[in-house]
Amino acid sequence: MSKPALAVLLTRHPRKPPNILQTLLEVQASLGFVPADALPEIARSLDVTEADVAGVLSYYPDLRTARTGRHLIRVCLGESCMANHGAKVLDRLRAHLKIEVGETTRDGRVTLERTYCVGTCPVGPSLVVDGDVIGRVRPDQIPALLEEYQ
Amino acid sequence: MTRLYLSNDTSARAAGADRLAQAWAHVPDVELVRTSSRGAFFLEPLVERDRPGGRMAWPNAKPEDLPNILAWVGGTPVDDIPFLADQRRATFENFGITRPLSLEEYQRRGGLKGLERAVSLAPDAIVQELKRSQLRGRGGAAFPVWTKWQVAKDQAAEQKYVVANADEGDAGTYCDRMIMEGEPFRLIEGMLICAKAIGATRGYIYCRQEYPAAAQTLREALTIAERAGLLAVEGIPVHLDVFLGAGSYVCGEETALLESLEGRRGVVRAKPPYPALSGLYEKPTIVSNVLTFATVPSILARGGAWHASLGTDQSRGTMTLQVGGRVKQPGLVEIPFGATLAEVIERFGGGMAPGARFKAVQVGGPLGSLFPASGLDIPICYDAFARAGAILGHGGIVVYDDATDMLDLARHFMAFTADESCGKCTPCRIGSVRGREILEQLQAGRGRSGDLDLLADLSETMKAASLCALGQRAPYPVLTAIEHFPGEFRKN
Ligand SMILES: Cc1cc2nc3c(=O)[nH]c(=O)nc-3n(C[C@H](O)[C@H](O)[C@H](O)COP(=O)(O)O)c2cc1C
Ligand code: FES
Repeated sequence: MSKPALAVLLTRHPRKPPNILQTLLEVQASLGFVPADALPEIARSLDVTEADVAGVLSYYPDLRTARTGRHLIRVCLGESCMANHGAKVLDRLRAHLKIEVGETTRDGRVTLERTYCVGTCPVGPSLVVDGDVIGRVRPDQIPALLEEYQ
Repeated sequence: MTRLYLSNDTSARAAGADRLAQAWAHVPDVELVRTSSRGAFFLEPLVERDRPGGRMAWPNAKPEDLPNILAWVGGTPVDDIPFLADQRRATFENFGITRPLSLEEYQRRGGLKGLERAVSLAPDAIVQELKRSQLRGRGGAAFPVWTKWQVAKDQAAEQKYVVANADEGDAGTYCDRMIMEGEPFRLIEGMLICAKAIGATRGYIYCRQEYPAAAQTLREALTIAERAGLLAVEGIPVHLDVFLGAGSYVCGEETALLESLEGRRGVVRAKPPYPALSGLYEKPTIVSNVLTFATVPSILARGGAWHASLGTDQSRGTMTLQVGGRVKQPGLVEIPFGATLAEVIERFGGGMAPGARFKAVQVGGPLGSLFPASGLDIPICYDAFARAGAILGHGGIVVYDDATDMLDLARHFMAFTADESCGKCTPCRIGSVRGREILEQLQAGRGRSGDLDLLADLSETMKAASLCALGQRAPYPVLTAIEHFPGEFRKN
């Protein structure tokens, strides 16, 4: 991202006292991830050290330092979805996409992640695709479902 | 014009509610009203229609069912659905009926009565009402609510805070999400009553990032409440804001949550001091669970004695259970404390899903104990669970079927703790990793004699020496799995 654009973003919601986590979430909301080369400017805008920013960035699982694929698929491995054998849904996805959890397909189409509960347990197993929750997923639906996300 | 009701709850949408809405969007003379959900999720998408004497319902509706619905063919009276009729709804009494963002409907059904009463009372009297109610926190630790309020109220500080814990980290639970999406004004009302009681002028709702619809609904509700002039106590504005988390389970622990609210790594603080004395920015702070706040308006409106008249000796009021896993009827169940676990699974859960056989049930989220079939006659109340070394937690009940591999499940629990440990204390940080490794070795057929003893030792250390309940409770699901299914841990 261009320097001025980041600067605009960083001054849009000045928070008092400055809040590292919310600032990183805002950067991620507009860029899709937090670029490593943005850390110095983020640190300066908040008047904290780069180490402070890096520490927060590495702590939270949902803050990313790299762009995801065109589509982000998150498989729920919370206990309720585990009880409903959601692990089989994950196995099907891994086999079909030929990637492991945390990886992106070579063509940049899909990033696969796991999550622990998205709160739709009673209609699990749950999948979140690009922010939309899909419930009652059966492993045999996976090939057709993936077709929809090119 | 025929008015039909359809839930807008994320679970209903994940089950296909939006497909119905799209299909029927342009049907002439049909108005579709999106409401909260009844919580009978096994019936979603559930379409309802007004009829004198109560609504009719069409469960598991499909787009092609519209002609039948319009012709009154095949529906069931909502009041005849046993899963709902057998409950005793209080906090969730309006669910499935009203539109989440209609302040007018909220008020018409009794909303804001608690706040009105609180405004007329002195802070002391509000705390006394909570004391009479014997309400205990619903976030997991079950601490008496009034004592925290009393402590915060008695502090002389120029700034105090009220914080709703909407991190809802226990997998298998979603009642907080339903409240935020379905009746956000109830949460806001509860927080305002607390603000009045302790003298807070600022508040935050710390909402997990996995709940975007809840955060959005809350923000809209706050705007509506602001415009209606609600966000003030005795003329002094009370600022409420929604904060998003970033996927860390331990951030549900109240001191880690405060660290995270301040924008830092969500690491647990040593207690004391408790947040009621020194919390957000070291100011007196009430951190309470969403369901706890949402229970407060009824207590003020109906009186603490009403709340105390429900439930058992040490557990007053209603318990909100989220019955799920491999049962036939997963959903939200609000009943007075005291029913047994077996009754809940049979009567509300409807027994096992077709083709599934019961193996074990876990109560209280990822830190909760497992119960085998022989352990189900335990009453659902805090003291009985404490005596059994178990927890009710946030009310999650997850039933596992006999296709579940207990060794793999135990490894999953330890891996979860290892992933989520904040790292501040050694027993939790190292113990969970060693525990996971031992179970992985067993799984790979490379177990050694003494492994299970080592795991037991390690567990005792974690229970005794961890800084917070994550490390202290993490061994319980693993140890109860080994206790009740020892054969599966001797495979090698
Ligand atoms: C690891 C851990 C995770 C927790 N997660 C939550 C949570 O997601 N939601 C919650 O309300 N309380 C959670 N708690 C409990 C809080 O620390 C605290 O007791 C609670 O927010 C107090 O509110 P209450 O009195 O209304 O229950 C958690 C505790 C621990 C140790
Ligand atoms: S456990 Fe998967 S959505 Fe809750």
